[in-house]
Amino acid sequence: MKDRGIWRGIVIALFLTFMIVPFLATVLFSISVRWDRTIFPEGLTLEWWERVTSRSAFETTLTNSLIVSLVTMFALALLVTPTAYWAHIRVPRGKPFIEFLTIIPFGIPGVVLALALIRFYSEVPLPLINTPNILVAACMVIALPFMYRPVANALDAVDIHTLTEAAQSLGAGWRQTLWRVILPNIMPGVIGGCLLVFSTVFAEFTLTNLLVGARFKTFPIYLVEFTRFDGRQASALAVISFVIAWLTSLLIIWIAGRGGRPAESLGAR
Amino acid sequence: MRNANSPKRITTWLAWLGLAPFFLFGIAFEIIPVLTLARSSLTAQDALTLSNFERALSPMFVESFRNSIQLSAATAFLGVVFGTLVAHAIVTTRNQFVRDAITALADVTTNFGGAPLAFAFIVILGSTGVVTLILQALGVKLYPTTFRIYSIQGLMVAYLYFQLPLMILLVIPSLLGLRREWREAAINLGASPTQYWLRVALPILAPSLLGGFLLLFANAFGAYATAWTLTGPDVNLVTVQIAALVRGEVQLDPALADALAMLSLLVMTICVAGYQWLGGRARKGAR
Repeated sequence: MKDRGIWRGIVIALFLTFMIVPFLATVLFSISVRWDRTIFPEGLTLEWWERVTSRSAFETTLTNSLIVSLVTMFALALLVTPTAYWAHIRVPRGKPFIEFLTIIPFGIPGVVLALALIRFYSEVPLPLINTPNILVAACMVIALPFMYRPVANALDAVDIHTLTEAAQSLGAGWRQTLWRVILPNIMPGVIGGCLLVFSTVFAEFTLTNLLVGARFKTFPIYLVEFTRFDGRQASALAVISFVIAWLTSLLIIWIAGRGGRPAESLGAR
Repeated sequence: MRNANSPKRITTWLAWLGLAPFFLFGIAFEIIPVLTLARSSLTAQDALTLSNFERALSPMFVESFRNSIQLSAATAFLGVVFGTLVAHAIVTTRNQFVRDAITALADVTTNFGGAPLAFAFIVILGSTGVVTLILQALGVKLYPTTFRIYSIQGLMVAYLYFQLPLMILLVIPSLLGLRREWREAAINLGASPTQYWLRVALPILAPSLLGGFLLLFANAFGAYATAWTLTGPDVNLVTVQIAALVRGEVQLDPALADALAMLSLLVMTICVAGYQWLGGRARKGAR
């Protein structure tokens, strides 16, 4: 039995090394004077952090990413939560159609979604194409499953029929029932979904690059530009992206530990 | 579940209206754009034709499909094998903290990808990366011939970073579904541990493993940001080609991009539909 324990230790140690070394190396690289000739960094410095964060583009791109992520998050929460509740309580036969629409995004590569949206909306006279509006719509599509699954799981986990009947027999209308009775009960699912949407959209590169390009630069676009001409400043931006992703994910896990578990996910590839 | 019987038929009809905003969104931003794409991929000079697909099957694009399929299959296969191994180590460990911590790590890292991930791999495995330097000191010279991070091999390493955790998360529920009694029963009946794995456990796990393979395959096939940051236009992948056509970097041939996009949608649809079907089977099997 003992050698089996050793086998397990080795597998877990190798996995941890593979998952953590890239992150730690990037952190160390961002505070190294130079780290491309020797095994250890040639001195430590905060110069790259100061330089990259003092540019005006740093603040602009960070703000742009925050705006897109937050707008997508709230729009999806407003669209998905009432729909999921309504389907659960009144139109269960609508659920397969809803689920179909939430599976489609898994099957559409980002580049194809961007192309499809450009093809259709460049012919339609709406203020969408080449604006952040189309980016938000596209991000809503790719993040749709991340919002729907946790909310649907949360709805499955509580007895919404009894809650709804109780609320309505006490005279509550539909809006009041959803807002005052159902929502507090499914809050962990809604918040988990929101955070998953936030971290997915914040890291989004493909759709932004193809749909709005240089017109509306987000943080990942800024990062990729830097990887091409200054690796050390890029490393500081990469660390910021990593930390934001870690923090939102840890928050999701922490909330999930207290309520329903969010579904597995496919992020921004 | 609820009684949607005759006296309530009209209200049921009205109830569907409550779902209208969601369906409108899905139709406007998923269904119609994709159908537009399909139509324009099948149209040339206002006539129905397959000529766009003929051009999409020129050697350069065939190679891009070959590269994408190889990259996706290799990282999906390695992801399934090593992901299942790590997941097995996690579910059988008696240390609750290790189990929770690694599951949390997989949860966090499966959402990674794109630019920061690609950059992190340049830092450790680029031509002057730290692992490259350490290996050099040990006498293993990666560059310029043995290994390059800015190539398909490099992409394989980077893709595994998000494939492994995804597989771990997908397979843990199935591994937890393997009952201890089944193993004991097999051993009591004289099976060796290897026989138990080959004859009992793997057949039970097969739908989950195959489903995991398909989802990982789709995950890698549709990936673009990581490849673009790491290798730019140097590696010929389907998504890289489509993106170049969308940005108009190559010649202006929109219908060609549409045909490539439809072909990659076909690959993705097969994978995701297969995953859904196997997922249903795996859930039924677990009961």
